[in-house]
Amino acid sequence: MGNNRKWVQIAIFAIIVAVGALTIASNLFANNEKPSVGGKAPHFTLKGMDGATYELSDLKGKAVVVNFWGTFCEPCRYEMPAIQRQFDKWDKNKVAFLGVNLGESKVTVANFIEQYKVSFPILLDDNEEIRKRYGVTQYPTTFFIGPDGIISDIHKGVMDDAIIEQRLAAITQ
Amino acid sequence: MIHNTKCECGHQNHTGTILCESCGKPLADDSGTAPLEMRYDGVARRSQKENPGWLDRIWNFFSSVRNAIYMIVITLIASALGTIYPQENTFLNIDPSVYYKETYGILGHIYYLLGLSHTFESWWFITLLFMIGTSLVICSLDRVLPLYRALSKQQIRKHFHFILRQKVSFQEALPAGKAGAPAPSEEAWIEQAAAALKARRYRVHREGTALLAEKHRFSRWGPYVNHIGLIIFLAAVLMRNIPGWHMDQHLAFPEGQPVKIPETNYYLKNEKFTIEFYEESEMSEEFRDRGQQVPKRFETKAVLYRCTADCDDPGKPPVLEEVHRDDIIVNEPMEYNGLLAYQFDFEQNPMLLSVKPSLKDKRTGEVYGSFELSMSRPAESYKVGDYTLQLKAYFPEFGLDASGTPITLSNQPKAPAFVFSITGPGLDPTGEPYIYFPRQIDKQTFRQDTLNGALAEKLELSVGSMDDVGISEFVSYLNIRVDRALPYIWVGSAIFMIGVIMGFYWHHRRIWLRIDDGVLSLGAHTNKNWFGLRKEVAEVLNKTGYSIEPKQLDREGVRK
Repeated sequence: MGNNRKWVQIAIFAIIVAVGALTIASNLFANNEKPSVGGKAPHFTLKGMDGATYELSDLKGKAVVVNFWGTFCEPCRYEMPAIQRQFDKWDKNKVAFLGVNLGESKVTVANFIEQYKVSFPILLDDNEEIRKRYGVTQYPTTFFIGPDGIISDIHKGVMDDAIIEQRLAAITQ
Repeated sequence: MIHNTKCECGHQNHTGTILCESCGKPLADDSGTAPLEMRYDGVARRSQKENPGWLDRIWNFFSSVRNAIYMIVITLIASALGTIYPQENTFLNIDPSVYYKETYGILGHIYYLLGLSHTFESWWFITLLFMIGTSLVICSLDRVLPLYRALSKQQIRKHFHFILRQKVSFQEALPAGKAGAPAPSEEAWIEQAAAALKARRYRVHREGTALLAEKHRFSRWGPYVNHIGLIIFLAAVLMRNIPGWHMDQHLAFPEGQPVKIPETNYYLKNEKFTIEFYEESEMSEEFRDRGQQVPKRFETKAVLYRCTADCDDPGKPPVLEEVHRDDIIVNEPMEYNGLLAYQFDFEQNPMLLSVKPSLKDKRTGEVYGSFELSMSRPAESYKVGDYTLQLKAYFPEFGLDASGTPITLSNQPKAPAFVFSITGPGLDPTGEPYIYFPRQIDKQTFRQDTLNGALAEKLELSVGSMDDVGISEFVSYLNIRVDRALPYIWVGSAIFMIGVIMGFYWHHRRIWLRIDDGVLSLGAHTNKNWFGLRKEVAEVLNKTGYSIEPKQLDREGVRK
């Protein structure tokens, strides 16, 4: 009877530990509503202006720059040339640049990229679902994601060549 | 050291037993006179074992009610702290890292740094809840099994020390007969007593001249039933973490267009929002003096759609199929397949949704045709009669930047401007530019006709009447929720209530008596309401020939 009881005790504790681990784990992982530096970059699938579909997971192994912008946002317009220059400069096999447009109509975006001569992929976040997933509340916000899918830096506000170069240098060792 | 746990009655008890399982004789403190420790009938509990191993230590920690109370108090304090400032999960578009500092100053900032801005989702709060759940399980198991064992094999003839050291006890010779009749025999008296007890709904067990009367044993299981209810309740709350089981979003729905509900395949359209205010005549004197507009009733006529095709294609509008339609007012949500939409707030925010302009010949007034122009997602080209209007640029809020280039100041159609390239009869085959401002005031401010030059004298694009203008007057804020764990929470709560009622409204009473050489020894025990027990025992005794007051039965009082 004594030994039997001990196994019952162990069994009960095992169940409790399992449930506890599940609970706390799911709490820690599911509550990553707002991604932060050092955390995993949330997945997304978006259509680009070129008609192609872009998935974040396809870019694993490359450093990724994700820039959230809109034509209505003055600093976003201001930094576009700098991002374009950086796009031309870095090796496309090592670094990917993605511009995520915040829910504007296609024609507005097309007009802008023609005017500013933007050639890196511009993705359309039609109902701002990805903006919410990334917790973006001010524009522009740029995420620098390492080749392993971990966010290395979140830059809020306008950027220039120096800032982009510095951040990219950190993740393209 | 091996303690001798064999009782003088011959029964072998477990280590740690306080009262012999068979005859009830106190194993350790036999010479004392204090009332006996009757918890769990003195049976050994798992957590009272000597030489605890590491497993036993953990078990002992969780089976301690004192520790459980500490955990509950800490959770209570944490919950109270979590209600001081609004929590992060109620924010729609606010950045928590600056909000608390800006709105509440340094205290708010400390609050944010400590992580209290998301108290109820933090890992330590969930851990506390989980520890309370564990302690519920282990406290109950530790106690219910020995209790069940003790109560299900009770001996009828108990040891004298057991009987007389109960909190309610009595010892006297059997009563003399009434007015000259002979004294009743032991057997006869016991029959009388048994009958009296049965009349008070006791279950009576007899063994010669010993008797055990017991009633309402089921109420002892009350606390354990209510703990099971609580465990189910907590487990259901934890189940909310299963993907798809819980969603709580606050979304804005302007009138007239379907809005996607994120993380689902549903779209909801606020077809019409109506609001009624209280009339002056309906308000009381003081209220009228305040001069406020008080809403009487507001409702959203909502339509729910499911996307069946082209759901993720930004170039094409999603194909929607209507699945449900309902009027939502406060506290009466729309429900469909577990998805609930509650009316939460509204805002009067007139916004242009779409216009239906007609293309006319400026000189002859001939109308070539009209088309629907959306302010949120205009099409790339429109065919009107023989003319084709290709959309070249769209500015929801038209403005000019520092260098005079047209830009849009925001994403809201507050001053929309469309630049078309028109081709058709009498026009340049490569297309002629035409800028169109749907709002009359913008037309004038930005001098549309001047900008359009010669084309403005040939063609005119304008809206005929207000019928051709789609406006959203109100934005309705709805709280979209999914909570599949709710039925289980109800079940857990119901079981909890049953357990509480079981434990509170009935009390487990037991009376032991034995007659030895004409002397009656009686002991009684209950888990609650000693006063009632004494009264009952006194009544039974008085029915069988005694004449005593309930106070006499109280051992603790008798010491005086």
